Amino acid sequence: MKPPLTALKLLLLIGAMPVAGGVLADEPAFAKGEPSFRRHVIPLLGRAGCSTRECHGSFSGQGGFQLSLFGYDFDADHKELTQETDGGEGEARVNPVDAANSLLVTKPTAQVKHKGKERFKKDSWEHQLLQRWIADGAKNDEATSGEFDRLEVQPREIVFKARGEKTQIKVLVHWKGGESEDVTQITRFRTNDESIATISETGLVECKNSGDTHVVAFYDNGVTPIPVMLPVSELAGEKYPNVRTPTKVDELIAAKLRKLGIVPSELCSDAEFLRRASLDVAGTLPTLDEVTKFLADKAPDKRVKKIEELLTSPGHAAWWATKLCDFTGNSAKQIFNESVTELNGDFSRQWWEWIERRIANNEPYDKLAAGIILATSRSKPDQSYKDYALEMASYLRRENPADFAARETMPHYWARKNVQKPEDRALSFAHAFLGVRIECAQCHKHPFDQWTKADYEQFQQFFEPLRYDSNLRRDPVVNYVTAVKEVSKVVGTGKEMQMREAQSAEIRRRIEAGELIPIHEVYVTTRNPRNTIARMMDNMRAYSGRVLTPKLLGGDQVLIKEYADPREPLMQWLRSKDNPFFARAFVNRVWAAYFHRGLVEPADDINLANPPVNAELMDYLAGEFIAHGYDMRHLHRLILTSDTYQRSWRPNATNELDERNFSRFVMRRLPAEVLLDAMTMATAADGKQLPFANDTKNREIGPNVAAFGLAEAFAGKNMPDHALTIFGKSARETNCDCERASVPTLLQSLYMRNDPEMLARIENQRGSTPAWISELRAAKQLPDDKMITETFLRTLSRPPTTEELQKARTDIDAASDPIDGLRDLLWALLNTREFTVNH
Amino acid sequence: MNRLHRDPFLRRDFLRVGSLAGIGLGLSEYLALAESGGVNSNAKAKAAIFVRLGGGPSHMDTFDLKPGAPDTHRGEFKEIATNVPGIRICEHLPKLAQCADKYVILRGVSHNLAAHELGTQYLGTGNRPLPALRYPNYGAVISKELKAAMEIPPFVSIPGEKEDATGYLGVEFGPFETGATPQAGRSMEIRGLSLGKGITLADVDRRQDMLQRYDQAFGDFAQKDKLLAGMEQFSQRAYAMMRSERTRDAFDLARESSSISGLFGTEPFSQSCLLATRLVEAGVRFVTVNLTGWDTHTDNFGQLKNRLLPTLDAGLSGLFLALHEKGLLASTSVFVTGEFGRTPIINARGGRDHWPRAMCCLFAGGGIAGGRVIGESDAKGEGPKDKGITPDDVAATFYQSLGIDPHKEYQTPTGRPMQIVRNGTPIREVLG
Repeated sequence: MKPPLTALKLLLLIGAMPVAGGVLADEPAFAKGEPSFRRHVIPLLGRAGCSTRECHGSFSGQGGFQLSLFGYDFDADHKELTQETDGGEGEARVNPVDAANSLLVTKPTAQVKHKGKERFKKDSWEHQLLQRWIADGAKNDEATSGEFDRLEVQPREIVFKARGEKTQIKVLVHWKGGESEDVTQITRFRTNDESIATISETGLVECKNSGDTHVVAFYDNGVTPIPVMLPVSELAGEKYPNVRTPTKVDELIAAKLRKLGIVPSELCSDAEFLRRASLDVAGTLPTLDEVTKFLADKAPDKRVKKIEELLTSPGHAAWWATKLCDFTGNSAKQIFNESVTELNGDFSRQWWEWIERRIANNEPYDKLAAGIILATSRSKPDQSYKDYALEMASYLRRENPADFAARETMPHYWARKNVQKPEDRALSFAHAFLGVRIECAQCHKHPFDQWTKADYEQFQQFFEPLRYDSNLRRDPVVNYVTAVKEVSKVVGTGKEMQMREAQSAEIRRRIEAGELIPIHEVYVTTRNPRNTIARMMDNMRAYSGRVLTPKLLGGDQVLIKEYADPREPLMQWLRSKDNPFFARAFVNRVWAAYFHRGLVEPADDINLANPPVNAELMDYLAGEFIAHGYDMRHLHRLILTSDTYQRSWRPNATNELDERNFSRFVMRRLPAEVLLDAMTMATAADGKQLPFANDTKNREIGPNVAAFGLAEAFAGKNMPDHALTIFGKSARETNCDCERASVPTLLQSLYMRNDPEMLARIENQRGSTPAWISELRAAKQLPDDKMITETFLRTLSRPPTTEELQKARTDIDAASDPIDGLRDLLWALLNTREFTVNH
Repeated sequence: MNRLHRDPFLRRDFLRVGSLAGIGLGLSEYLALAESGGVNSNAKAKAAIFVRLGGGPSHMDTFDLKPGAPDTHRGEFKEIATNVPGIRICEHLPKLAQCADKYVILRGVSHNLAAHELGTQYLGTGNRPLPALRYPNYGAVISKELKAAMEIPPFVSIPGEKEDATGYLGVEFGPFETGATPQAGRSMEIRGLSLGKGITLADVDRRQDMLQRYDQAFGDFAQKDKLLAGMEQFSQRAYAMMRSERTRDAFDLARESSSISGLFGTEPFSQSCLLATRLVEAGVRFVTVNLTGWDTHTDNFGQLKNRLLPTLDAGLSGLFLALHEKGLLASTSVFVTGEFGRTPIINARGGRDHWPRAMCCLFAGGGIAGGRVIGESDAKGEGPKDKGITPDDVAATFYQSLGIDPHKEYQTPTGRPMQIVRNGTPIREVLG
């Protein structure tokens, strides 16, 4: 009996090569027709896993054969298949005269030894398709195959009823010429969460567990996610209880929760709301008075009023300036100015102050962004170098400095060491203003998005003519070099350290005396024609004749020559109504600041394969943000006034596991700066809390330039601040929101319990802020119930429960010195998780 | 990006520990588990000491002298013989000459980054720095790969340097910084570990008891929530560390026997080296020791002769001999390096400037046979004689000696796959 043996063999085969499922696939319609290199051959190799990083997509190839990673460099791949024939094996990969013996078919069918084993069976349709393409002459038809238009995927959404259910996905490609065909069998699939749903190589989706995720289809330049879900309770759809949805945000959140059968938690208490909103919106603990007044207030709209108050508080402007400094990469270490390196900290502070002013005035976000993106150092086009250098010096003088924040533009963004090459500028720009990570496309097609290497190269053309240096040609008489000479004359020669000190002193003297200082500048150059030609030659070599024209990401080509500054069309594109990134990137980051995750997560990784968990909500908020002229406060308000933001952390039976759909408040550790400030405020002497809170320029949430450890040249061994480092303040150096860490660590626990800085904060003082405990000791006051209550209000922003009050009395009575007892209570409350997290 | 990676908690140890705690695993069992876990039993080395010579020591005036080079290059110092026939080093390193059988000299190590910060990152990570990605230093990788006991810090930096950045691995693998260098015969105050003035262990216990009674706001949910459960695990570990006699003793140099402490000088660098041996003895996995000041642009020979070389000689020879005496040399990998060498041509100020094309590194212990020179620089010390040794290869060798595969792949937070050392391969000759 033969059949059982065959079945067994087949099973073994599947077990041995989990990705090569082609043996099971039905023959697709296109397998009969004339194979196309772009439409069929390359996608087939991609689906069979040939162009992955582990195989021939590796940058060093595999077995002497290299395909472009994720297969989108058609010319290079075609050349590799057809022209470089030795391959170390003395045989042609592709030989139209003897198609059947070409390596391209004998290898994947394992007719000859193949390290990657059998990818599909001999005589399968895959085999025949490749062989036919070779026999037809192995032509590259990229130019003639027409432009990719879109993918159409059916079904658009999958709502399962039970675990184990299966649904087949069907993928149609539409080409710009109007043709379309079913390419399901040569599409790559993946699931974003295999614990919820899996997807087979042939597009069969299987439900594994309740919850929601996406499966994603990849073909050519198309990336299409399909939502997949299984309700978590019986309450989905019709049986869903009536949930109050006072705002549009709540309505859109509830629409998804209803599909999933997840019932949201109740609203949080007033005390929880006040603490949560104060820390989130203003980076600041509420003061004792504030807590007492808010809890006593009977007005039904007191939360809305509090939100308004917080949004206009100094803490909000400071904290959001700090967040925008994170996004835009304000690192004192990276700002570079070779003659005045000791001023890096001042430049970093100017950067923060410039943004802070705009948040405080609630200037539109697009205007704020334009002030950075379009920045040049000279404040007027006809300003001379002399006047520019004098202007910069005027911002730096100690007595009555000129107001840098009043400048129209903020050029330091372009003055960083890590953005001096156009490709690095493109990365930084995409991260800061688009919330997009395009670094993958520097070397290969983006694995989860449409970006190709060519897109990246074209995008980076916008940043080519930008310069940050001494701009000597413009001012022949007084310029950077003459300014350096003047300083050198005073500094003279001698030992290195002495010269540095002398230079530093001379720069400082000149600043205070109102004289000019040597300082670089950001400007747009008119291109040097010789360089342009050289560059074009390089490009032509790299792209076989294609000349690069600047192209917006996913947008149109732009003729830069029509603009004096190539950043202008870039800014216009950001402001265009249908820009897919600019508004969304900011909306998503604001959302991520108020919840444990963005609508897209990671919050700075907007890509086609990583869709928002609630696309309708993203569309609504981005639409509102644009319609209100990029009014940041309006956006904050839309989120904060929703029930969704004000939910309790207390889970119910349906939402305990939900961390995707905002049905309850998911706790997060306080950000480094907010936590350290909260500890100082909680331990500050009576009457010192409010002054501390409002003195934002000297708080951790403020410009805080010493936190970074300054540049090597002058500051030498300056260490970044210990506490801020271990609690994860962003170093702002690598274009990733993930540079800010919010995970708990051992060093954090040791700091909270036992660090000298922490103990001094409780017992004596922190900076210029004296401690409450030392004040009580000096006044020889004995702890009473009022003080116990105050300890709770200071730390946890709520009064103690009756039980806690009783416990505290006992603990204080047991202490040898009652003030020590109160101090230990303060220590214990600061060390609770209730203090350390926002809840 | 895979889900496992995105969720920092899923790859954390405390979950494993937490679940074990749930079935009644006690502290001592945990310690045994942690001490055995993660250590590759095939590798001889179970800990490492990294000695960073910040500023870039002159290779031609330390371990790679060129007596036959012209006057413009040669320098003032003479070679002396060592206790290994054929190996000769600088006359101002007499103690190191007497223990040359303990270490390997790598000559002709070469790269092309002549700036301090970049060179330090390159030699401190084994990866050429990129503008848009920070690689983790050795200590971060090693404390991730080799687990330490619950009460012992895995990674200690003496005194703490900004170069110890943990890069894409994140803050959880950061070092314990001593903040200062130790003094002979004294106990060291360690930030967060040493008890504050007037605080006793009884106070620590009382506060711990209070904390547990007041930290009740989240009830049962505190065990279910990953963040809250994780914080509790770290809190328990911090408490154990503060109470630990073993940890406290390790930082107390007064507890060292005179036969060991007598091997060292009294300078901060010597005492740092002594502390490093005590820490490794107590179970610390990675210690960084720093000796800076090698940036000798002026008066190279005076600075070396009067200050740097005697300091290095006393500390490093003490380190090798003490590890040997304590029976720890075979199980401890020691790696000594600056960020680059210095110009073979002596400048007008009697100094030498930055020169990455040729430099020296030392390896000792960890099963690496000492008494050897590997690699060679050319006649004038200007570059490697043949192919040269890359910092990447040196780093790969260091990891390999600890049983860590240098090509093991991590994911950066942006989901980019990244090998620990991207371009290096272990130098077979060194590992033997």
